[in-house]
Amino acid sequence: MLSPKDSPLGKQLSQYVLLRITRMDDTDVGLFDRDWNNTIYFFALNAEEQMYFRYGGRDAASPDTYLNVDSLELALRQGLERHRQYLAGALKLPERPKPMFPREIPLLVQRTFAQRQCVECHLIGDFQNIQREQDGVLDKLTHLYRSPDIKTLGIELDVPKGLVVKATSGAALAAGMQAGDRIVTWEGAEVWTCGDLQYRYDKVDRRAEKVTAQIERGELGDRGGSSVGLTIALPERWWWTDLRFRQSSVDPRFDFEDRPLSAEEKRKLGLAPDGFASQVKYVSDFARIRKTHELRTGDIIYAVDSVERDAMANTAELFLKLRKKGGESAMLGVIRNGQRIQMPLHTYVLSFRK
Amino acid sequence: MIKTLGLFLVLASAAMAAQDDTIPWLGNYREALRQAKESHKPIFVEFRCEA
Repeated sequence: MLSPKDSPLGKQLSQYVLLRITRMDDTDVGLFDRDWNNTIYFFALNAEEQMYFRYGGRDAASPDTYLNVDSLELALRQGLERHRQYLAGALKLPERPKPMFPREIPLLVQRTFAQRQCVECHLIGDFQNIQREQDGVLDKLTHLYRSPDIKTLGIELDVPKGLVVKATSGAALAAGMQAGDRIVTWEGAEVWTCGDLQYRYDKVDRRAEKVTAQIERGELGDRGGSSVGLTIALPERWWWTDLRFRQSSVDPRFDFEDRPLSAEEKRKLGLAPDGFASQVKYVSDFARIRKTHELRTGDIIYAVDSVERDAMANTAELFLKLRKKGGESAMLGVIRNGQRIQMPLHTYVLSFRK
Repeated sequence: MIKTLGLFLVLASAAMAAQDDTIPWLGNYREALRQAKESHKPIFVEFRCEA
């Protein structure tokens, strides 16, 4: 049996005041802001509520992509070192974020507090977005597509080693990032864990064209080696992630998936080269049950409400996600067996309570 | 992995509490701040569902 105090993780944990929070009712969600669709998440901070690191984060593929006992131990060790610096007055930390509490989200209060129901973590994010949508301030690129995936930039991390890069491709490789590099800042902010990096990446303006990072290369001591500044060009739709794991999101659902048409496919069909025409690759059985639409696999969607182009969307599916509210309808322009037809589509949102 | 990590931390907390009552997992944020101030320790916070 593991002996926590004698184990590497136990030795680190025993040097902290340990706190477990399972209800969000009175939690300062401004201070502990994060992507609320994470199943488990950790923070280390001092008594002045200054943050040392976040630990957690996920991607669309799995809730535990960035969770690892070795990297947690590493983060705890780094947190203790930063705390020693703080106590010695040698550490400058960012200002504490503005406090915000769940009771400040009126719709959340109606649906949870008023009904004596638990304020679960994911409900914070769910109702922040519902409230934003109702108040007309929902920015889908930022609020719906939260936590952009660093793999889109071509960064694969060596997860047990924290922010050490395992492999690079695409934009990261083009910027000069190499396997073995350790990411130490992102857009000027210090990052110590995958959670820190994901949080800082999420703060990047969705219309930005580049991000900056500082990496350490060479000897991998605690922030040893040489320091190199990189500028990474952001690829198109770098912010896009698969939303399906966000079960209670406000995005419109419509029971089909598609793929973008190639330039050659568009040319052959006589479609606008810069349009978002796409081919349906999957139709859920729920489409028939819910009467969402009558699309079939292989159909080409070339227009939505007579619109064929969009500055952000490269498929009809993405256009609908970005430009329609859940529950709204649209008229699709569809090519089936060479014939152009019009087809109604009705979107819906998933339930917010079990 | 989440379950493994969570289970480890739960076991760790239970075992530590059994061996040394001065290192429990607290459930109250204000109390954690108070203890951190008093002991000059940092705070490690875990957010998870009760289930």
